[in-house]
Amino acid sequence: MTQTDQDFVSQPKKTVLYDRHLALAGQSRLAPFAGYLLPLWYSGIPAEHKAVRTAAGLFDVTHMCVLGIAGPAALPFLDYLTTNSVAALTPGRAQYSYILDDHGHVLDDIIVYCLAPSRYMVVVNAANTQKIKAWSAQVLNTQTDLFSPGSVTVLDIRHESPGRVDLALQGPASLFALFRLIPSEYHLRLESLKTFELLHVDSPQIDLIIARTGYTGEKIAFELFVDPSKAPWLWDTLLDLCRDLNVIPCGLGARDSLRIEAGLPLYGHELDGPDLISPYQAGYPWAVKLNKPEFIGKTAIAAHAASFRSQIVRLSFPGEKGIRPIRPGDAVLDKFNTCIGHVTSSAGIHDTQIALALVLSGKIEVDQPIALYYASRNAAQTQLGRLPRPEQNMKLEPDLKGLVLPRFAKF
Amino acid sequence: MVPENLLYTRDHEWARIDGDTATVGITDHAQEALGDITFIELPKISQSLAVHGFLGSVESSKAASDIYSPVAGSVTEINKVLTVQPDLINKDCYGAGWLCRVKLTDPDPSKNLLSPAQYQQFLESNA
Repeated sequence: MTQTDQDFVSQPKKTVLYDRHLALAGQSRLAPFAGYLLPLWYSGIPAEHKAVRTAAGLFDVTHMCVLGIAGPAALPFLDYLTTNSVAALTPGRAQYSYILDDHGHVLDDIIVYCLAPSRYMVVVNAANTQKIKAWSAQVLNTQTDLFSPGSVTVLDIRHESPGRVDLALQGPASLFALFRLIPSEYHLRLESLKTFELLHVDSPQIDLIIARTGYTGEKIAFELFVDPSKAPWLWDTLLDLCRDLNVIPCGLGARDSLRIEAGLPLYGHELDGPDLISPYQAGYPWAVKLNKPEFIGKTAIAAHAASFRSQIVRLSFPGEKGIRPIRPGDAVLDKFNTCIGHVTSSAGIHDTQIALALVLSGKIEVDQPIALYYASRNAAQTQLGRLPRPEQNMKLEPDLKGLVLPRFAKF
Repeated sequence: MVPENLLYTRDHEWARIDGDTATVGITDHAQEALGDITFIELPKISQSLAVHGFLGSVESSKAASDIYSPVAGSVTEINKVLTVQPDLINKDCYGAGWLCRVKLTDPDPSKNLLSPAQYQQFLESNA
């Protein structure tokens, strides 16, 4: 058997919850991810996926970078650095956004949380941590006419004390779970929290920032920002208090199948990556505010907005046992069996497979049939004539027939 | 779990030698690491296999893994039920989850394989 991708070039780090993962998932199910050892699953990917859709799942996302951005120039700095309008955020509100480079290419997709005037949290993908930290520092060092030295501080607040790390609690039971955790005087505010709003629970027993954000597509879903020293306690307490609500720990496998089912992009697959996929192609034009006076990459992305030709779509295919799983790189075929694009991510969910794919715009419609050609998986298949890298415009024999879904799922 | 009547490879395949025939499969360690197996690609009847040569592949929701042959020979039988019930490999990897049977071309295949004790030691040292 080939080893599943174990990249031990440098030893992966442990998150603050490593001991729990070792106890609950076992050594063999821990895999390196963005430099950290994290569980692929605890009880099984299908069970965890279902739990989030019907009860709630708890995810260790403490590996995601949490930047604290503060200072008199914090707002103009963030408005310059990101595509969405940070000026539109009032304390207690958050937004999905992008950091672009000068060519308009996506460096990361982020969520910006406004804690107070001139005080923000920005959550950055774990895999892009070093890149974004270096980029921010470079912007501050070179744009000293815009941001005088010391007018903005950027800190990794996972490593500060007091600090914040991110745990995600997602699914319909998550609100009830949090009611059991937080003092009753916060319940009404929590219940009225809208999506992309946040609330700070600051009591003697617990200091928690609760944001109604997440990566599973669930409407009732929260990210919990807590001091790293309290993260193990929070993890244990939520699981113990809410066992009867069927709240269970969920690993990377379910995190991926949930976000794919929902249609949410993963950096490197549905954003940037080899095809340099933009926010427009990914389906998020509203997160790029071209009416902002200036932001890094604005000219380039504005030109792109007027001329892009392909976009991310969500497709459904059969997935019963015995049907070969779809993989990124597989070719998407239109009704004439012409390759119009390729799969960027896919997941098996019960008896279905959901694929996200980058395809030529205007070639397919929601609720219409679509087909798929499997790219060659190994030398044996290639020798039999299957193509390892099927290309656009090729005519290919379909292997699987499916359906075009709406771009995003509604739960 | 490492049954005593089988021989093993460092790639987590097993072989049961019965005279000039071998039955081949993947070990408990392999099926455990893969998770729920959803798809299996088996060799064809009369396909010839080399030691550590490509035999087939197995896919789960999170991983795709190539399987290498522990023995040299030609395939005489494949476990067809796996194409509709690939999870038999998870449930019973040493029994009902067998992959194929091979007519051996080498009279002494064990020289390329690990004993149960050696495989056990290999697992422990790589934990």
